[in-house]
Amino acid sequence: MQKKMTGEQFTVPIGPQHPALKEPAHFSITVDGEIVTNAFVRLGYAHRGIEKAAEERNWVQTQYLLERICGICSHIHSTAYCLGVEKLAGIEASPRAQAIRVLVAELERIHSHLLWLGVAAHEAGFDTLFMYSWRDRESVMDILEGLSGNRVNYSANLLGGVKCDIDSAQDEAIRKGLEFLKERLKHYLDIVTSDALFLLRTRGIGVMTRNQAEVLGAVGPTARASNVAREIRVEAPYSMYMEIPPIIILETNGDLEARFVVRIKEMIESCRLINEILDYLPPGELTVRVPRRIKPAETIMRVEAPRGELFYFIKSNGTDKPERVRVRTPTICNMTSVVKLAIGSQLADIPVILAGIDPCFSCNDRSVLVDRRGNKACIWTWEELRQYGIRYYYGDRT
Amino acid sequence: MKIGAMLSDVTYSLFRKPITQQYPKTRQEAPARLRGYLEWNPEKCTGCGICAMDCPANAIEMIVIDKKEKQFVLRYHVDRCIFCAQCVHSCMHGCLKMRFDVWELATLDKEHFTALFGDEDDIEQVLAESA
Amino acid sequence: MEIARNLIALLFFPSGLFLLAAGMFYEWVDRKLLAQYQNRIGPRWFQPLADFVKLLAKEEIIPEGSNPYLFIILPVIALAGGLTAALYVPVFGVPPAHSFNGDLIVTIYLLSLLTLCMGLAGSNTMDRFSLVGATRTLTQLFAYEAPFLLALLGPALAAGSWQIGEITIYTSQRWLILTQPLGFIVVVIGLMGKLELPPFDAPEAETEIVAGALTEYSGRGLALFRLGKGVELVVGLTLIAAFYLGGVSNPLFFLLKTLALLLVIAGLQALLARLRIDQTVGLWWRYGALLVLVQWIFMIGGRMIL
Repeated sequence: MQKKMTGEQFTVPIGPQHPALKEPAHFSITVDGEIVTNAFVRLGYAHRGIEKAAEERNWVQTQYLLERICGICSHIHSTAYCLGVEKLAGIEASPRAQAIRVLVAELERIHSHLLWLGVAAHEAGFDTLFMYSWRDRESVMDILEGLSGNRVNYSANLLGGVKCDIDSAQDEAIRKGLEFLKERLKHYLDIVTSDALFLLRTRGIGVMTRNQAEVLGAVGPTARASNVAREIRVEAPYSMYMEIPPIIILETNGDLEARFVVRIKEMIESCRLINEILDYLPPGELTVRVPRRIKPAETIMRVEAPRGELFYFIKSNGTDKPERVRVRTPTICNMTSVVKLAIGSQLADIPVILAGIDPCFSCNDRSVLVDRRGNKACIWTWEELRQYGIRYYYGDRT
Repeated sequence: MKIGAMLSDVTYSLFRKPITQQYPKTRQEAPARLRGYLEWNPEKCTGCGICAMDCPANAIEMIVIDKKEKQFVLRYHVDRCIFCAQCVHSCMHGCLKMRFDVWELATLDKEHFTALFGDEDDIEQVLAESA
Repeated sequence: MEIARNLIALLFFPSGLFLLAAGMFYEWVDRKLLAQYQNRIGPRWFQPLADFVKLLAKEEIIPEGSNPYLFIILPVIALAGGLTAALYVPVFGVPPAHSFNGDLIVTIYLLSLLTLCMGLAGSNTMDRFSLVGATRTLTQLFAYEAPFLLALLGPALAAGSWQIGEITIYTSQRWLILTQPLGFIVVVIGLMGKLELPPFDAPEAETEIVAGALTEYSGRGLALFRLGKGVELVVGLTLIAAFYLGGVSNPLFFLLKTLALLLVIAGLQALLARLRIDQTVGLWWRYGALLVLVQWIFMIGGRMIL
């Protein structure tokens, strides 16, 4: 590692291997002492070619592929996909299945935000909050394991419905777990807003004004902490959210403390939503039959992932395999805000600012081929991609 | 604004047992819906092969010995299985189930990762063919 | 005879191997207590020893661009400073092996030598993380050193001597925590700053600068630095227990008092979040210095009145 010096400044690389990052990315931060003067982000370390692989699998298999884009938003990815495919096929899942889908989505939101709370506290150096919030996360995972069969990556969705039903034993377990969680969440809200040393690290750090949030295109809790009311569950309600709408949680400060408060309050709001769904749960069957071949059409689907707006574009061509699945995840909208906010802040604040947008790098990666020799856009087949890889690694680098 | 907002948690923990589960000395009981090892009941199986078609990981192979006599052998690759239970729901006759009591599947021997389900002599026939 | 006694004091007891083992023991107690506060199980009793053995078995990589002699010798000097400081301090409840007038200052200097060596080690390597870590280490040294020193000199002033042996004779008759509470607070938090424990672990903030000044160290050098930190922990705890908690006259009292102090220190570690380096310096130069000055004013005023 050579030291690069331009005058008084030098460049600190954060990533791709760094204790602050849970997943690989590269931030090259130019510092002058402790003040950051420039920041540059480079992604692409977790690109797996999922959209390409989806073209080779049939509609049923693709769902599981897309579920594994991200470990902690897996259910919402599969919900968006199933809703999109059901729209293409012209079918609507039964109300009971939709209610269970939304219930698992809200449980996943609680799970994701609790995980994030621990990770962000660890980045700020508050390890005790990390340990306690992850201890309480175990109760959510136990609820989800009893409901769906797995703690993370609970494949609860099927094309046309859900796999798991809620009987009285599940109902009781969910309600009991949520009681415990609500107490702990209120305690965490109190800690985050009143602990003096933690506030020294979060209050007034990484402030994003409302104008900046709108211009940079921030989504999700990051935008809602800057008073931008973007919430897909309320703006474009889907599934059961038309009957049971959530309340939009807004904070005006736009600093890191506001992001903590927004996410904890969203968790409390999710607890309320889950209780309402359990009260409202309509009877009915769980699945509806979806044809194996879907006639040619294209559709878009927008859902609210724990990190923001998740956007799917699905195109069918009459066969039993999708023609194109395009996923636009929320982290990529929030990533530019990190780079903008980093400039002018201190080096010690960079990990916390990065953690404040709740980054999910696995969702993030795109791959674009820029071929400067020709001027045309082209679509590669699987075989062409493979040949390019072989040439790149073993032969001439054309 | 107080210094040490977690004081109640921290002092309470001093007198409480740690919450860490001492696996493998103590094991938590698995819930009934846990998706573990696959189990196949060949009584109603018609050999349609939808389970193998729909498996996202190509972990199931339906080997047909005699379709009329309903002689099938199911080859199950445990290392490829992602335990999604799609096969359970794809099967229209309910032949497949995921066990909740067998979930500690780590092993030192790769042979355990390929399981053959079916009648004794059918399995022997398949093994003889592949050998 | 004299030489044999000195050698035994240097190599086995109270300094040397016994102190190294005690350093590992106290490091284990600290980690175990921290885990208990966080509602989890900590490491088993031989974990620091296992870490030490593992580090010795690893390859020592000397990075390009750094001075190899300095790279190798700095951990040795750091550990030597810690071990030497223990000769003047009543560790394990026995009177200090050596004692002369003014050895309090020498002890504090030797403890700072350890931090200084870590800062030098960080700036020696050409790694960006080490440079930032070394800058932070030295900045923090400037921050807490003055209040910590003054808080340790409070009992010296009360006892009217600069010699640790005489101060402990004075403090074993009265508990100075009752008469100099502010000084006690400053000295405990100062010890946490010296040892780079949270909330003052900005110099080795894992999530920001990997491992701070010691990023490029591996193998034997890292093992010696870690041993040095353990030794510093024992010596620091002994000083505070000897000065403020009524002296350490026999090994049982030594154990009880230092472990009680460690309970409080581990609790503070668990409770507080990490501070940024500029907030640390600001905190120390505002509140730390203020508290210790108020303490001194009360003490001197009290002596003049009484």
